[in-house]
Amino acid sequence: MNSRLTQEQIELRDAVRELARERIAPRAAEIDQAGVFPRDIVELFAKHDVFALIYPPEHGGLGGTLLTNCLMIEEVSRVCATSGLILAVQALGSLPLQLAGNDEQKRRWIPGLANGQLLNAFALTEAGAGSDSAGIRTRAVRDGDGWRIDGTKRFISHGSEADLVAVLAVTDPEAGRHRDLSFFYVERGMAGFQVARLEHKMGIRGSPTAELVFDGVRVPDANRVGEVGEGFRIAMQTLNRSRPGVAAQAVGIAQGALDVAVDYARQRVQFGKPIGEHQMVQAMLADMATRTEAARQLLYEACERIEGGAADAARWAAMCKLFAGDTAMAVTTDAVQVLGGYGYITEYPVERMMRDAKITQLYEGTQQIQRLVIARALLSTQ
Amino acid sequence: MQIVVLLKAVPVVGNERLVDGWSVDRSSGLEANGNDEYVLEAALKLVEAHGGEVVTLTMGPASSVEAIRKALAMGAARAVQVVDDALAGSDALATGRVLAAALGRLEYDLAVAGADTSDGQGGVVGAAVATRLGLPYLSYAASIEPDPAAGVVRVRRISPTGYDVIEARMPAFIAGTQLLGEPRYPSLRGIMQARSKPIATWSLADLGIDPASVGSAASRTAVHEATPPPQRAGATIVRDAPDAAVERIVEFLASRRLI
Amino acid sequence: MSGAIWAIGEVAGGAPTRLTRELATLARALGDAAGRPAASVLVGPEALAAAPALAEHGPDVIAVQVDASDRPIAAVIAEHVATLVREREPAYLLLGFTDDGRDVAGILQALLEWGVLANSSGVGWAGTGPLAEMSVFGGRLLTRSQFSEDRGLVIVRPSAVAAETAPAPGRVEQVEVAPAADLPAVRIVDRITEASEVVSIEEATTIVAGGRGVGGPEGFGIVEELADVLGGAVGATRAVVDAGWIGYAHQIGQTGKSVKPQLYLAAGISGAIQHKVGMQTSGTIVAINRDPDAPIAEFADLMVVGDLFEILPRLSAAVRARRG
Repeated sequence: MNSRLTQEQIELRDAVRELARERIAPRAAEIDQAGVFPRDIVELFAKHDVFALIYPPEHGGLGGTLLTNCLMIEEVSRVCATSGLILAVQALGSLPLQLAGNDEQKRRWIPGLANGQLLNAFALTEAGAGSDSAGIRTRAVRDGDGWRIDGTKRFISHGSEADLVAVLAVTDPEAGRHRDLSFFYVERGMAGFQVARLEHKMGIRGSPTAELVFDGVRVPDANRVGEVGEGFRIAMQTLNRSRPGVAAQAVGIAQGALDVAVDYARQRVQFGKPIGEHQMVQAMLADMATRTEAARQLLYEACERIEGGAADAARWAAMCKLFAGDTAMAVTTDAVQVLGGYGYITEYPVERMMRDAKITQLYEGTQQIQRLVIARALLSTQ
Repeated sequence: MQIVVLLKAVPVVGNERLVDGWSVDRSSGLEANGNDEYVLEAALKLVEAHGGEVVTLTMGPASSVEAIRKALAMGAARAVQVVDDALAGSDALATGRVLAAALGRLEYDLAVAGADTSDGQGGVVGAAVATRLGLPYLSYAASIEPDPAAGVVRVRRISPTGYDVIEARMPAFIAGTQLLGEPRYPSLRGIMQARSKPIATWSLADLGIDPASVGSAASRTAVHEATPPPQRAGATIVRDAPDAAVERIVEFLASRRLI
Repeated sequence: MSGAIWAIGEVAGGAPTRLTRELATLARALGDAAGRPAASVLVGPEALAAAPALAEHGPDVIAVQVDASDRPIAAVIAEHVATLVREREPAYLLLGFTDDGRDVAGILQALLEWGVLANSSGVGWAGTGPLAEMSVFGGRLLTRSQFSEDRGLVIVRPSAVAAETAPAPGRVEQVEVAPAADLPAVRIVDRITEASEVVSIEEATTIVAGGRGVGGPEGFGIVEELADVLGGAVGATRAVVDAGWIGYAHQIGQTGKSVKPQLYLAAGISGAIQHKVGMQTSGTIVAINRDPDAPIAEFADLMVVGDLFEILPRLSAAVRARRG
């Protein structure tokens, strides 16, 4: 028996596993080839309360933990990383609201986010500011009883689909480092807010990555979450809870590739026996399975530490994302190798999984940034 | 409208095996019988349309609980499980008696069950339960349309050439088929709510049934022998172009005197 | 008649069904083997009309003419047979593995408190009672079972024996009996005919079945054509029945019919376990599939890797040509 997961978590995971296998897996290749955001999968998640999982019961959610949500992302990503990302981004975009929003704001938005009527996005990155928030140029200036936002955000997952975008903007350029930023929710349809373009990507091709332009967007003060100047702190707390989501996506992709490779190795006959009986293939499969399981266990441990309020949450979040991302890349690459020529063509899903895996080493901080976070945490605690 | 769904937990299709005494291994890995999920779905739709609640009734060992929980997650309000060590190895006759005794203690307008089970394939228990309880029996249902105001229910019963529309007064017993419609997936909310829904467990003593009258010792039938069927030699693979492939098929069929 | 073996028959269009004639043949064979009397029983509005044809198979026919055409026939048969059983005390009743046959068995089981051996693919006589062979767990196991007392109901699948006429036909005895039980009223309000002919894939000796690979309802055209040429029936997987490409009566597998034809030709069927359990005991299995790794390759006798749209029409033509 699995001692770490509760019976409830196992039942929820198994239900989403079945849903993913029967309803999402058959769509995965189409979603990748079409490169169009799969609204049908959004509806599927909404119908089965998958979005509701992470939100508090008083606002229409199910009160699930970080670990439970990661189990869902993992199971979905196992068959379709784009679909897994829908869950991860929905959680990411609403974290500022959950962490720093007031009751009125939660009542206003969480029910819609929980039932899938509202999608959200998280807009931190800019052309000149990724992991270094000091480069953020987007400005929010007081304008009567509200704010006026000007600037451009890049690489915003679901930015073109979101009804609600959490935007990190400079509110006080004079305030010290880490005190100059604030969060605002910009709503679809607000004047001056537009999608400038979508990127053409290597993987997660059904997940639109948008450049968002804010041209004098008037935002009421009621859309500001957290105190003025609290933006950086909220962003860091957000990443502590969102990086495990990326790790979960990575573990799912790795497991999905391993599933395909094992199946193939059982069936594909060369030199008179299934290739799974050849020792060189066996060694690859053994390593793939071991790495995937190690990544999974590190992820689950990290979720529990972070949920438990660990002081070094940032380090756990970075470690699980770092290890899982590298694992996904390695395992999917090996899966392509196990399948040989068939692994390289679209008839089998592992080439897609390999392309999808790469993003987990890049977004929400590159692997290099994760190492930086981990090392800093280690050295600062001395 | 109150509906009782008779739900059997069966081994996952393809994983069935016999254990000592030639009875089906039900120690673990059970799931809801396929046809029972169709009638459960139909029952849930009926209470959504007419109000009321769905109660599941299962006779089966402790390992049935996962299948019961899934039914609760799909939307059943509560469950009754008849569980007693003495029931192991019960034949269709004893099963019909026990289910009739349990059903007799419940309130319902409709009692519904799958037309047969994947592990037993008898398809006789439903008719026996209905007969014992003096309930109208409407079988092989492709649709169920109750008229609560008139107190009657109409069923489309599959016939060899189409279907018969049959009608009876409620309470009635209906055995249903796959044509009732695809069962829903449980929602996550349903799964979480299911954990607090009640599962009443009834023993044979609760039902006033003598343990000696059920179980393998009282079974009117006995398996004397079980053997795997003769193995196939393994497929001959043909990868020729269509014309040549067809020639190969024709030769093969002729060699076995099938054409 | 005490200790007799009875075949409980069904009538369609004024004649005994093929399975009913098989049951009468089987009752005679078991009676001969056991040294016990055998009889056939027909109940219903056409009992008398069908009785002479059934008598040709040997056992005397007990015909109970009842006009109850507005009730499901199973209840009518069961309540009259129950009375006959109490009066004449036969030991074993053979019933057909049909929807009505199983309903009759279920009702009789409760009325008589008899055990039932269901789903028998073969029935012999061993020692003091029938020995029923059943294919269980989707054909992965073959069991042989007996009753533990000298009475019982045996549900027999089609083609367990071949229907054979006897050298001397039996007599027809028309009897009038009161129903044994007051079964609650179920009324037939309407009969809807959807198919021009009865689909009986369980009785077919050849089945050509189509799965998702046939692409759509039109794809069944070439499946039907081949079935026609081979003199067989059309089968289908659950996926295509769910998709509405063909009726449920054609569905083979876990929640459809189980079949055991001499030839099963599977076109565009992957062979998922839910389908496999309904057909893997077929005599010869030929699969046509584009995917050489499809699970059906594991239990087919001939696996043709190719496009069914190219192969099926050519195969129909080749079989036709062969017949001249």
